[in-house]
Amino acid sequence: MLQKEPTMEIDLKQVDAVLSSYGRRKEFLIPILQDVQALYNWLPREVIRRVAEGLELPLIDVYGVVTFYKSFSLKPRGKHLITVCLGTACHVRGSPRIVDELQRKLKIKPGETTQDREYTLETVNCLGCCAIGPIVVKDGTYYGQMSTQKVVSLLGRE
Amino acid sequence: MKRIASPEQLEELREAIIKGIPQIPCITISSGTCGLARGSDKVVQAFKEEIKRRNLEDKVVIKVTGCHGFCQVEPNMILQPEGIFYVHLKPEDAGEIITKTVLGKKVIERLLYTDPNTGEKFVHEKEIPFYRKQQRFILGNNPLVDPTKITDYIAVGGYEALAKALSKMNPEGIIEEVKKSGLRGRGGAGFPTGYKWDFCRRAKGDKRYIICNADEGDPGAYMDRSLLEGNPHSILEGMVIGAYAIGANEGIIYVRNEYPLAVKNVTIALEQARECGLLGKNILGSGFDFDIRISRGAGAFVCGEETALIASIEGKRGEPRQRPPFPAIKGLWGKPTNINNVETWANVPLIITKGADWYSSIGTEKSKGTKIFSLVGKINNTGLVEVPMGMSLGEIIFDIGGGIPEGKQFKAVQTGGPSGGCIPKDLLNLPVDYEKLAEAGSIMGSGGMVVMDEDTCMVDVAKYFLNFLQDESCGKCFSCREGIRRMLEIVTDITEGRGKIGDLELLEELAQVVKDTSQCGLGQTASNPVLSTLRYFRDEYEAHIKQRKCPAGVCRELFISPCQNACPAGMNVPGYVSLIGEGRFQEALELALDTNPFPSICGRVCDHPCMSKCRRNQIDEPVAIRMLKRFIGDYEQENLILPPGGTPKEKLPHKVGIVGAGPAGLSCAYFLARLGYQPTVFEALPVAGGMLAIAIPENRLPKRVVQQEIERIEAMGVEINLYTQVGKDVKLLELFDEGYQAFYVAVGMYGDRRMGIPGEELRGVVQGVDFLRDVNLKRRVKMGKRIVVVGGGNTAIDAARTALRLGAEEVTILYRRTRQEMPAFEEEIEQALQEGVRLEFLVAPTKIIERENRVNGVEVVRMRLGEFDSSGRRRPIPQPDKTYRMEVDTVIPAIGEFADIRELFTGLEVVTNKDGTIKTDKWGMTSILGVFSGGDVATGPATVIRAVAAGERGAVAIDQYLRPDRTRVYPWRVTKHVDTYYDLEAEPVPYGQVQGPTLSVDARKDNFKEVDLGYTAQMAMKEAKRCLRCDLEVDLEKFHQWEKSLKAIEEVKTW
Repeated sequence: MLQKEPTMEIDLKQVDAVLSSYGRRKEFLIPILQDVQALYNWLPREVIRRVAEGLELPLIDVYGVVTFYKSFSLKPRGKHLITVCLGTACHVRGSPRIVDELQRKLKIKPGETTQDREYTLETVNCLGCCAIGPIVVKDGTYYGQMSTQKVVSLLGRE
Repeated sequence: MKRIASPEQLEELREAIIKGIPQIPCITISSGTCGLARGSDKVVQAFKEEIKRRNLEDKVVIKVTGCHGFCQVEPNMILQPEGIFYVHLKPEDAGEIITKTVLGKKVIERLLYTDPNTGEKFVHEKEIPFYRKQQRFILGNNPLVDPTKITDYIAVGGYEALAKALSKMNPEGIIEEVKKSGLRGRGGAGFPTGYKWDFCRRAKGDKRYIICNADEGDPGAYMDRSLLEGNPHSILEGMVIGAYAIGANEGIIYVRNEYPLAVKNVTIALEQARECGLLGKNILGSGFDFDIRISRGAGAFVCGEETALIASIEGKRGEPRQRPPFPAIKGLWGKPTNINNVETWANVPLIITKGADWYSSIGTEKSKGTKIFSLVGKINNTGLVEVPMGMSLGEIIFDIGGGIPEGKQFKAVQTGGPSGGCIPKDLLNLPVDYEKLAEAGSIMGSGGMVVMDEDTCMVDVAKYFLNFLQDESCGKCFSCREGIRRMLEIVTDITEGRGKIGDLELLEELAQVVKDTSQCGLGQTASNPVLSTLRYFRDEYEAHIKQRKCPAGVCRELFISPCQNACPAGMNVPGYVSLIGEGRFQEALELALDTNPFPSICGRVCDHPCMSKCRRNQIDEPVAIRMLKRFIGDYEQENLILPPGGTPKEKLPHKVGIVGAGPAGLSCAYFLARLGYQPTVFEALPVAGGMLAIAIPENRLPKRVVQQEIERIEAMGVEINLYTQVGKDVKLLELFDEGYQAFYVAVGMYGDRRMGIPGEELRGVVQGVDFLRDVNLKRRVKMGKRIVVVGGGNTAIDAARTALRLGAEEVTILYRRTRQEMPAFEEEIEQALQEGVRLEFLVAPTKIIERENRVNGVEVVRMRLGEFDSSGRRRPIPQPDKTYRMEVDTVIPAIGEFADIRELFTGLEVVTNKDGTIKTDKWGMTSILGVFSGGDVATGPATVIRAVAAGERGAVAIDQYLRPDRTRVYPWRVTKHVDTYYDLEAEPVPYGQVQGPTLSVDARKDNFKEVDLGYTAQMAMKEAKRCLRCDLEVDLEKFHQWEKSLKAIEEVKTW
C-alpha cells in the first residue's frame, strides 16, 4: 500500500547521472539505490520508478529490494536523524528505556518522523561501539553512555 | 608509490622503509570508530597542533592507528618505543604529555590505567592485566600500523606471506598448508577452511570468485570492523593468497552498510595495493592477475548468510537458497565461489609465514589458532580480546575482562550472537572452543561475548533475540517466519504476566520444529537463545508464569517499582519515602508497618536489595532507603503506632503456636494478629528477638530498639512465653492435645558449623554465635588478648568488633577467599577496618596449637585461587608449602550456621533436607500436618527481611489452612496508592546521597554505643526528595487484580 506522499519538485536528472555512473547494470541496483537515497534523503516514488526504468527492471522487483533492506526509506525523513542502538550489549545496559523516553518526548515511534519534520527516530541492531553503550547517534555524532536523563539535553529542548 | 615488480623488490622496499623510520618517540593513538566516538580525533588534533606550535616535528611523531582493542579506556595512546600506555585522554592532556613524558621522560600517574578491582596502576601496555593473558597475533598489529599507509604494513612484515606463496609455493601446496593448520571459519559455522578452498578449486567452472564476508551482523561483535578499519591490508593479503590457491581472478569484499570507516579505509588500501602492484595484473611479477572491489550491504542481518549475501551482490533481495549446491560449487553468478569471514582471511598470511605446524600447536585438539572475542555488556574491561582456543570462560571474563562492574554478581555470558546461547556461572571453567560451546548449548559464532549480571532478566534476553530474528527473517520458510513469531508471542506473554502452565512445553516443542525445518542458518539456530535460557534458567521463566514476578526487575509490566520488586517483603518503598519527603512521618511509618513489623530494626541491619536496584543509582547514588526506613521507625510517638487496620475487635478462636521468637516467628505472629488470631510464641531464651537479640551486637542494633518493636507486637495480642523450649519444657504433641491447631516453626539457625581442625575442643575456642549471644545476654565471657576470628560473614565481623570493644589487643579475621567475595555487608567491613580489625585474605587455619590445655597459637595455610566452582567463584586451594604460625590465645570460628532441630520434634517424624533444613511444600507446610515452617530453619541462613517475608507467608498459609477461602483478600498485599505529589517532567534534584553522621572511631572503639547516628528530620526529607518515583509510571489498578488473587500466594519462593 503506497501512502500519499507530499508533492515536491524532484530533479530526476540526478538519478540518471547515478545510473550512468554504474553503466546501467542491473547487478548494481543496490549501490545505485544507496547513492540515490543519499541525494534525496529518502526514496520518492518517482525516483524508484526512474531507477526501474533505467535498469529495465520490473517495478515490483525494485520495490521488493527497497522494502527488504532496512537502510532504504520510503518516507521523507526529518532534518535530524536520531538512531538508538539496540544491540545486545546496549540492550543489557538499558537501551529500551532510552527508546521509550525518546518516544515519550518526541511522540513518535521508531521509523516515524515528527509532524514538523524535525526529527526521525530509528533503531539499529549494533553499531559496534559496545564499550560506550548505550549509544544514540544524532546526525552522525555518537553519544555514548546515554541515560534517560541525558535524552533531554540531546534533543536540545526542555 | 612505485610498483613492486618482484618478491626481491618487496624485501628491498621493506628494508628501506624500516631503515627510514625516524628514531624518535612515536605517539600512537587508537582511532577506530569507537575511539572517534569518544573524541580521539580531537586528541589527535590537539597533539598535532601542540607539536607544530613548539616546532617539535623532528622530535616526536604522531601515528593515528585503528582500534587497540581496549575500548573501555579510549581515547588511549601508546608512547613508543617505551610502550607507555595512557588512558581516557582529553585534548587538554596533549601539552602535558609532550612536556612531561616525551621530553621529560617522566610518567604522568593520573593517566595510567588503574585496575578497578585492586587499585593498582600500570605503566606499560604489556603489564596491564587486560593484555597480559592475550595472544594478539592478529590484532597485535593494529597499534603498529596507520591503516592509510601501506608502508606501515610492509614495515611490520606485510605481504611477506604473499611473496612466499607466489614465488615458493604452488596452489595445491598452499591449500595443503591451510588444511594442515586446522584453521576453521571464523564467521560462525567453523567449517575447515582448507577443505572449503579445495572444494572450490576442484569444482567445474571457467571462472571462480572469492568473497570476504564483512557483514558482521551479530549485535555485540565488532572484531571484523576493527580489523578492516585498523589493518585492511592483512585481509587483502589473505584474499590474494586464497585467490591464487583457488584460481580466482575477482574478489569482492561485502561490507555492511553501518561501517563507513571500514569502507573508507579498505578503499584506500585497495588503491595503494594496486599502485604497488600487489593487486591487479601480474602481481609481484608472478603472472597472477587478481583484483578486489567493495560491495556494500543495505541493512539486512540475513545477508551474513552466504547464499543471501551472494543474492545481495547480484542486486536481489537477500533470500537464502537451498544448499547443496554449496557456493564452492555454484555461487556468485552460478560460478564456484569461496566465501570466508574477515578474521579467517586475516589468519591466512600468518599460517603461510609461520607454517601450519606452528599454527596447529596453538589451541585445542579440534580448534586451532587464536580467536578474537568482543567482550561487552556488564564487564569492566570492554574490548576486543584475542586468546588461544581453549582458554576458559572464567579466565576471559574475570582475568582479562576484570569482572563485573559495581560489585554485581555474574549471571550468564551470551556467545555467538542471535544464533547462540547463554552460559551460566557454573560453567565458567568451560574451555572456549567450537565443540565445547556447542555441547553447552551455545555456539562460537563470530565471537561476540555479552556478559550479563544479576540485573539481566533471562526471559527478556530470549524475547530480545526472538524479536531480532523475527525482524531479520527473510520470510521464505513458513516454519521460520511463523514459528519465530509464535515463540515471540509466547515469551512476550510470559514477560507481561500472561504466561500459562504448559507454555514452556509448547515453547520447547516449537523450538524443535523451527530448528528442524528451516532452510538456512538463521532459522536453524533461531531456537538456541530460547532453548539455552530454558535449560539453565527455567526457574526464572517459572517465576514469571507462576508468581507473575520478574526477579531481575526488568519486565516492566510485572512490577511497580524496582525497589519494591526487589524487597522480599514487597514494601511500598516509593510510598513511604515520598511521605517522608512531605514531612508526613506518621503516615510513612504506618505505611511501612503495613508490610514490615520491624522498620527500626531493618533500618539498621537490612542488606537492602532495594537499594541495589534503585534507578537513582544511574544518576549518582541509590536513594538511602535503609536510612530513611530507620528514620521513620525511630520516629517518636506519643501513642504506639499500629499498622493500618490494627487488629480486629472480633478475635478468631483458633489456637496457633509459634516456635521461636526470632524475626520470622514474630512476623508470623504479627500478621496473624492482624487477621484476628491471638497466637502464642514459645521462646527458649530469656529474651525475644532471636538473632536480633543475641547475635547482632549492641553497637549495630541497640537492644532497646528490638524491645520496642517487639512490644508493639505484644500490644496486638500476641503472647510470648520466654524460657520455654519446645521439645523440652513443652512438647508439640502435648500442645496439639491442648487444642493448638497449627504451628509455625521458626527456630532459626544458631548452631555454629565446626571448622573440623585439630584443637577445636580446646579452652580458648569460642564459637561465633555462642560468643555473641553470651555478650548480648550479659553473661561472663572468657576472652584473651590476641584474637583470631575465622570467617567472612556478618557474624565474623560482629564477633571481631565485639572482641575489640571488650578489650582485645589485636583482632585478626582470617578469610579463605578474597575481599570482593566476603558475604558481610560492605559498610560493616569498612567500619571494622576503621576500628582497627585486621583482615587477612586467602588464608585458613589448619590446626590450633595447644599449650597447657589452652589455645596458644594457630597454624595457617595460604590459599591460591584455582578453578571456578558452581557458585561462579574461584575455589581456594591450600598451598601446603606456604604455612605460617600466629601467636593467639583465642579462636572464634564463625564460618556458618546450621539447624539443630532434633529435640524439637520428639515424638514426631519430620522430613529434613540433606543440609539439615526442614523440608516444606509450596505452602510452607512440613511433613507433619498442621505444622508449618519458615525462616533460616527452612531455607538455610538468610537475612532479616527474608525472615519477615517468610513470616508473612506463613501467616497467610496458616490462615488458609484453618479457614480456607479462595476469595479472601489480604489487605497489606494490595499496594496502596499514596497521594504525595511528584512532577514527572521536572529535573531530578541535583545532589547525591545525604550522608548520616557516625560516631568517630575514638568515641566508639571501647564501648557499645550505636555507631550510625541516623538522619535528622531535615536530612531525611532532603534525601527522600531524591527518589525518582518509578512507581508513577504504572497504573496501580492493573496490579491490584493480581495482588488480590489467591494465585499470588501459591507457589511461594524465597528470592
